[in-house]
Amino acid sequence: MRTLLDDFSKNRVLWITLGILSALLLLATQSMQLDDWLLTVLRGVAMGAVIFLAAAGLSLIFGLMDVLNLAHGTLFMIGAYVGWSAYVRPDTIVDLTTPILLLTAGFLALPGLQALIDHWTLPPTVARVWPWLAAVAALALAAGVLPQYPISMWDAGVYEQSPVVWGLALEQGTLVPPEPAAFGGLHPIAAVTALLAVGGLGALAIAGWRTQPSEARVPLSAWALAGSVALAGIGLLVVNDALTAWLFSLDTTWRFGFAIVVAVVVGMALGGLMESTLIRSTYSRPIYQLMLTLGLGVIGMQAVIAIWGRPQISMVKPTLFNGTGDGCPARSLGDWLTNQCATIILFDARVRVYNELFIIAIGLLVLVAISLVLGRSRLGMIIRAGVQDRAMVEALGINVQRVFTLVFAVGTGLAALGGVLSGPSTGLTEGMGESLLLLALIALAIGGLTSFPGAAAGAVLVGLLQQFMVKYGQIGIPLPFLEEPFKPTPPLVPASTVLLMVVILLVLPQGLFGRKE
Amino acid sequence: MTPATPSTRPALPGWLSRNLGPLGGLLALIAFPFVVAAQSGDSPVAVLTNESGNAKFYQGLFIEVFILAIYALSYDLVLGVTGLLSFGHALFFGMGAYATGILIKSFGWELGPTIVAVIGIGVTQALAVGVVLPRVKGVTFALVTLGMASVFHIVVQTHELSPWTGGDVGLQGLVPPAILNPNADRLRFYLVSLAVMVLAWLAYKRFVDSPTGRVCNAIRENEGRALMLGYNTFVFKLIALTIASVTAALAGSLHALYQPIVSPNVASLSFTVAALLMILMGGVGTLTGALFGALAYRLLAFFLDRWFGQIADVLLGVVYIALVLFVPYGIVGTWRRRRGRGA
Amino acid sequence: MSAPDIHLALEDVQTFIGQYQILSGVSVSAPRCSITALLGRNGAGKTTTLKTIMGLTPPRRGNVRLDGQELNGRRSYEIAALGIGFVPDYRGIFRDLTVAENLQIAERRQGDFKRKSELIFDLFPDLRRLIGLRGQQLSGGQQQMLAIARALVPENKLLLIDEPSEGLAPVIIEHLIVAIRALARETTVVLVEQNFIVARQLAERYVIIESGRSVQTGAMADLANDRDAVQRYLGAA
Repeated sequence: MRTLLDDFSKNRVLWITLGILSALLLLATQSMQLDDWLLTVLRGVAMGAVIFLAAAGLSLIFGLMDVLNLAHGTLFMIGAYVGWSAYVRPDTIVDLTTPILLLTAGFLALPGLQALIDHWTLPPTVARVWPWLAAVAALALAAGVLPQYPISMWDAGVYEQSPVVWGLALEQGTLVPPEPAAFGGLHPIAAVTALLAVGGLGALAIAGWRTQPSEARVPLSAWALAGSVALAGIGLLVVNDALTAWLFSLDTTWRFGFAIVVAVVVGMALGGLMESTLIRSTYSRPIYQLMLTLGLGVIGMQAVIAIWGRPQISMVKPTLFNGTGDGCPARSLGDWLTNQCATIILFDARVRVYNELFIIAIGLLVLVAISLVLGRSRLGMIIRAGVQDRAMVEALGINVQRVFTLVFAVGTGLAALGGVLSGPSTGLTEGMGESLLLLALIALAIGGLTSFPGAAAGAVLVGLLQQFMVKYGQIGIPLPFLEEPFKPTPPLVPASTVLLMVVILLVLPQGLFGRKE
Repeated sequence: MTPATPSTRPALPGWLSRNLGPLGGLLALIAFPFVVAAQSGDSPVAVLTNESGNAKFYQGLFIEVFILAIYALSYDLVLGVTGLLSFGHALFFGMGAYATGILIKSFGWELGPTIVAVIGIGVTQALAVGVVLPRVKGVTFALVTLGMASVFHIVVQTHELSPWTGGDVGLQGLVPPAILNPNADRLRFYLVSLAVMVLAWLAYKRFVDSPTGRVCNAIRENEGRALMLGYNTFVFKLIALTIASVTAALAGSLHALYQPIVSPNVASLSFTVAALLMILMGGVGTLTGALFGALAYRLLAFFLDRWFGQIADVLLGVVYIALVLFVPYGIVGTWRRRRGRGA
Repeated sequence: MSAPDIHLALEDVQTFIGQYQILSGVSVSAPRCSITALLGRNGAGKTTTLKTIMGLTPPRRGNVRLDGQELNGRRSYEIAALGIGFVPDYRGIFRDLTVAENLQIAERRQGDFKRKSELIFDLFPDLRRLIGLRGQQLSGGQQQMLAIARALVPENKLLLIDEPSEGLAPVIIEHLIVAIRALARETTVVLVEQNFIVARQLAERYVIIESGRSVQTGAMADLANDRDAVQRYLGAA
């Protein structure tokens, strides 16, 4: 009891703010039916869940490494589009994986190659020139091989082959799995060797450019890792057609699971790559770092538009959430499971299971999982300590750099998860990344930048406010001094969240859960 | 500065020899339209009679450069000199542009009163944004300013305001006053915007060297120390913000007079980012860099778009990243460092 | 090995922070299982010397050797993992972690804390009852004890302690002196100490640092008699 009172007096402003907000929320029940109110709350929380998936990563990354990752929205977008591809065109994903794995294998051999070239004693001119030659050779080989490598893919430039049409085909059940692309003039063995060589030459060039010698011990594990990745790539090539056929034969529910896994893996890989190659060099220059993430965001977004095209593309809901036949809308959860209904009746409200329940469930799952990792595991301990004092953590003998890369990758992976989850509910548009980034930043500022619970609370607040404004835009707010109810127009919806942020930051500059420095 | 050289140079008055670079640049820019005309085989008289052609086109391009340069200059005062990380600078520019457009088009004001009003608006909006200065710092300030700018960006696009702002299409149909009409007399507009840019640059240079400017610089270096020395840093930050806001609003005014449409994009985050890019290219905190940065930015965007079309934006992104990673001090910053090391 | 078994050696180390040169020639050699005190006025570069050893402010010239092995170019965590415990002048206790977590985070192998808990609680019995509190709830003295205890969790061969006595009550200082002397039976200790009386009781050897240079070194017993040096480099003692 005493601690509760203490807590209250310390966080008075916070509790009062939350109190006012919940009072407003309850007041809203006055002006609308209970079912409308419930639906709006659920929509708000669901939107908050998606925002949270992005904001969680942003806050962890900002807390630990002081990087405000402005490319986060683009990773959300990439997650959605890559997820869509795995869902609608798994053949493309399978086809692409082999070359990517083979190239990666070459680069994974970097530590081994580095140890190898440390033994070379070359005249200085030769030592300066050969890495460039290796790089040029790698690029030339890549330019020669990659265009001939068979990848069966959509074509955003041709309407019949565009993602719009493929998305529609899956929605209407008329999707015919395309013929697998075949090796033409290029022999598969030659292709595999060439791709391995491209990666290896590239890695060799990087090793040659480096000035510092590597650690003395020969990293055997690096060779083993590179070798197994290369073998995985080759193995995938062998089973390519069978795997594609199997993926196409899967029920969309399972394929959606596959899409989620692919999106998260791609998101994590991109994030890890970003941190370890580019962002790491700018830790001491914050403004340039913001520029860097902004630039990466722009490039990524333009690349997505170039690959998938500008028009909105659709992603049909998995069968588990898409039934409309007998017994639908479901009256109970058991009902829903047997009939796989798209909607379920809760307190007289027709709730869409995917949009309003499934997304919330995933959001909660992630919230619990991250809280557990942060609170209970050694990694979480290191992250909590690192948020406060990186140098001290490092001085204890912990490789903080590796934790940074990991947290960055997990953060971007979560953003990608948010992207692929929002695909079926809102569709995929060229502006989805940018608008989500703004919402996530607002949520972050409201919650207090580095606070993880703050990010969750801020995200839900932003989501709720948005959905209530949308709702009020339809039914109007009865204001005492106006005859007609005031109807906020759609552009005022995002404006309202911005205003909320400005007001909260003026009252509480550290945000709701932030700590005074 | 190399103090030991005057004896080897032809005897020029000290003032002249010290300002040779800026003066040369100014003369070159005044001569530029005539040179272009001569290059493309037109008579230089064509420039005076406002005939269309290469000279008129490139004057137009450079008017855009001048306007961007004024805008970038004002951002450099906020970010580069005073160290306030604002992500809402486009708000200042956008306000100026929209105010000019609406006052002239919808209310039929003359140019003079409009400019006065724009200056007033510039001061007011700086005070409004400045309210948050004592409370929020660093990234939070960036987010608040970003938020304010995006509210403006959203509000000008609302349907209800479209009779005045033109909604999401943008404000169009503004008839420029006869005294400053970019279509009827391009050379005059060219020279006026050049003059505004030069005057702004000179005024900023003076400001930065003034005692007030030095305090602003000290705030960027270490606000805590400036506070401890007894300066009310809030007032100094507010002064810098107000000067920048008025300058940016005036740049917005010129923009509204010059462009056939004031697009809502001038209030968007990407336009603030443009300012950031320009001062990055030129060299953060150097002031002169803002001018070079605007030139480099506009020309780069122009030529990338002309040569590569579709993927120009991707390439522009690659250029940014290369700049951030390899030329962090920008054009002027790098040049000064080189010279500093050589001397 | 030659007669005095040198554990840690700094040779003419020069360190820059930004463009400012903080150390312009510091040499220290600490024999195994001895206590060496770095003495000198405020801002002389003592703290930077410790941070340079840890690789937190890497040296630009000169080198740091641990058991003859050069540390230059190694990252901080690699240096720490060689068996160095670091207690910074601000203690570096993690506010949001409990005392137990503050100790566990220093583990380099699973179970380090359990193996060492008896030793730690023998030295600092108070910690046992504080174990559930968060770092931010501790007093300055408790934080200092925790910081030293944390450096004892892994198998460290060398302890770097910055200002062990600063801000502590005299009773606690006495306790600390006993504790650190007990540690030095198996561990080499290099510490920075402003308080000359404490330093004299603690250390066997000293190095005086003045304006970023090591200017005098020797046995502590001799320094106590060298009034002139004490006066000149340390002010009134």
